[in-house]
Amino acid sequence: MLSNRVVNVLIASVGGQGGLTLSRTLAIASVLSNYSVRTGETLGMAQRFGSVLSFVRVGVEEEVYSPLFGLGEADYLICLELIECVRALKYLSCEGGYAVVSNEVKPPISASLSGSKPTPKDELVSKIKGCLGNNLAVVPARDIALKTGSVRASNMVLLGVFNYVSKLFKDEIVEEALKNLFKGNALETSLKAYYEGKTWASVNLKTF
Amino acid sequence: MGEVNLAKAPAGVKLALMGNEAIARGVIESGTYVVTGYPGTPSSEVIMTLQECSEDLDIYVEWAVNERVAFEVGLGASIGGARSLVTMKGPGLNVASDPLISAAYSGVDGGLIVLVADDPGPITTQTEQDSRWYGKLAKLPMITPSTPQEAKDMVVAGQNISEELKLPVILRTTTRVNHTVAEVVTGDITPPKKFMSFTKDQPRFVRAGMAWNLERHKWLNKQLTLVEDVIEKYGLNKVEGEGSICLITEGVTYAYVKEVVSRSPDNLLKSLKILKLGLIHPLPKRFLIRNLSDCSKVLVIEELDPFIEEGVKNLAFDVGLNIPIYGKLSGYLPLEGELNTDLVSNALSKLLGSNLRQLNVVKQPATYAVPARPPPLCPGCPHRNSYLAILLGLAKAGYKRDEIPIFGDIGCYALSVNPPLSAIWTEHSMGASISMAMGLKLAGFNKPVIATIGDSTFYHAGIQPLIEAVNKRVDMLVVILDNGVVAMTGHQSTPAWNRTETGRHTKPVDLYEVVKALGVDRVSVVNPYRIDEMIEKVREFIKEPGVNVLIAKAPCALLNARLRGVEKRYQVLLDKCTGCLACIRVTGCPALYVGEDGKVRIITEDCLGCGLCARFCPYKAIVEVR
Repeated sequence: MLSNRVVNVLIASVGGQGGLTLSRTLAIASVLSNYSVRTGETLGMAQRFGSVLSFVRVGVEEEVYSPLFGLGEADYLICLELIECVRALKYLSCEGGYAVVSNEVKPPISASLSGSKPTPKDELVSKIKGCLGNNLAVVPARDIALKTGSVRASNMVLLGVFNYVSKLFKDEIVEEALKNLFKGNALETSLKAYYEGKTWASVNLKTF
Repeated sequence: MGEVNLAKAPAGVKLALMGNEAIARGVIESGTYVVTGYPGTPSSEVIMTLQECSEDLDIYVEWAVNERVAFEVGLGASIGGARSLVTMKGPGLNVASDPLISAAYSGVDGGLIVLVADDPGPITTQTEQDSRWYGKLAKLPMITPSTPQEAKDMVVAGQNISEELKLPVILRTTTRVNHTVAEVVTGDITPPKKFMSFTKDQPRFVRAGMAWNLERHKWLNKQLTLVEDVIEKYGLNKVEGEGSICLITEGVTYAYVKEVVSRSPDNLLKSLKILKLGLIHPLPKRFLIRNLSDCSKVLVIEELDPFIEEGVKNLAFDVGLNIPIYGKLSGYLPLEGELNTDLVSNALSKLLGSNLRQLNVVKQPATYAVPARPPPLCPGCPHRNSYLAILLGLAKAGYKRDEIPIFGDIGCYALSVNPPLSAIWTEHSMGASISMAMGLKLAGFNKPVIATIGDSTFYHAGIQPLIEAVNKRVDMLVVILDNGVVAMTGHQSTPAWNRTETGRHTKPVDLYEVVKALGVDRVSVVNPYRIDEMIEKVREFIKEPGVNVLIAKAPCALLNARLRGVEKRYQVLLDKCTGCLACIRVTGCPALYVGEDGKVRIITEDCLGCGLCARFCPYKAIVEVR
């Protein structure tokens, strides 16, 4: 994957799940790796329980300029929630694109109010699977995060899976990036969740 | 940011910084001493970042009650020789525009930068206001960065420029610079520049319709002619390429152009010349004439209004430069919304007569319709209870749903517009709820009116409207939603705090005392979590003549949970839940959802334990867990 000169990552989440922290972690790790980086995201209103998209563009061998990219241009899609994942799918490239997805569902209030039946998890996953074939990791991120002590660490579990697949950052770089963001217990939990994610990937994603 | 302390980081370090954090570092590097502003997305993180490291800084960095006060504080500091910077979102500059325009006549001694953050999209703002026009209106120099690095560097350059010209400088940014994280290399830190002197100079500082205002206007116009000379040494305007097809860019549009060009064949770059404007008011005439004179055609790529396009066309006419100049007025780019690489690529294709987009056609997965997820009121939010109490109080008083208009204001509580509450009828500008409700009554509306306004918005711009309503004896119910914090923009302090974010001890200005002192007919403090009491108060106050104020006082649930943890949560007893969905239809709480079996679930970690859903469950199927 490192042969890509620019790596486009899209993080889809519900406000409050830690999508912004994840994008910041990728940005810090990029700078520590001496890559060029731009993130584009909408803070403010959207951060609380609304849809949140974070664009992260990493220039491994060249400079990146735009903080955003277009439809079909994401090399990686990291989803903290399945419905948001389906919503963001249009940004993912069908040619080599890879999705790292938490199997969590948080149906929005608008769905509950409409009275329509909730879409089963399996159906959401099969929509995501679409053209991706084996390029999909559906991760029990919430369960793994709970084992590390905090359900809030789901984002770091996905970071572990993402980095196992993309091999974008060295472990020590990720560790340093997390030390930039967290202290004390939160740091410990985040580090643990990151490595748990990597371990899960090494057991469940045999092709890498 | 955990370990990286922006107050201490030495020069030459490469950091991953958000644009607003980079501006905060620019404050430190430029020796700026007084920093103030009013929270507003996408500008808030500048002051928040400085406050986080304020222990290690010798600067004044505090929120002001509103933008005009912030600007006047900055101006006062700068006429005494200190360097200052004030921050606000686009609409905030409207509030500060009165002193801004006068300040151009008076000028400054210490540097004064006004950071105004616009929001093409608009992503979180009421309009797509293009604040670049304030450069022209106020006759002030305006500079704009394309990246977080430039944003930082332009604070340093801007302070120097401001002092050289003796004019406030407007630093204009957009969301995609303010909120973009990118690599930023730090520069040297300069000690803060504080008070030097203030001499009595009435022709300069007294603007009371004096004849000398004409002389100051002449002075201002003369200063504006010097801007291009003064900025020259800071390299704010740049040229790349030597082609004859010329692109004029500014701000983040430069990044989009570079992205498109870097993905295109090399020979494309050879035919292009890219001009990047860092100075956007007054337009750098000599730079433009020098670089446009050998162009065969020009495309102006800017967001929002054709501000540069019109200026360049005027300039071309003046100097007899007869080349086609394209942009928004010729339909190459849209007049609304933010730009992106696709729109820039399409405009460039049209200009070149070849399809650039073909270069990176990619296959994308199918798209599926999924239910929308607009931002709701948070779980446990006291505003949900307040609006529900208003709606139920009105019903109890005998009014039908949507018979009584509820005027809204700016803040989180505007999210009550969404179903199921669908509460507010209007939301316009800071403080407008009270004055607009008054106007409707004066026009002859003969039923009661309700104005709802948050505590910070009330301090910001709600006090004068309330004075107006009291003074003119216009009957209304005003509900002040007092959660004790500027919540929507990220939990900033209000004048009711006794200590600010930096630890500064302050004298709290009590909301109840202020309201009482204005002479309202009735004022009562209610706790929205005791919803039955609040319903009863609404029913009582709506029938009484006069200006009646209910202060619905309860802390922001999200902040409260962060500071104090969550005492209790709720869960659904699945054997009792019938799937009637009353809980969801009444509260719209995002911690609730319908499971695949049609019964309701509560997302444990999102529940903040307000218990509103349990109260409205007809089957007692929602119970407390500790």
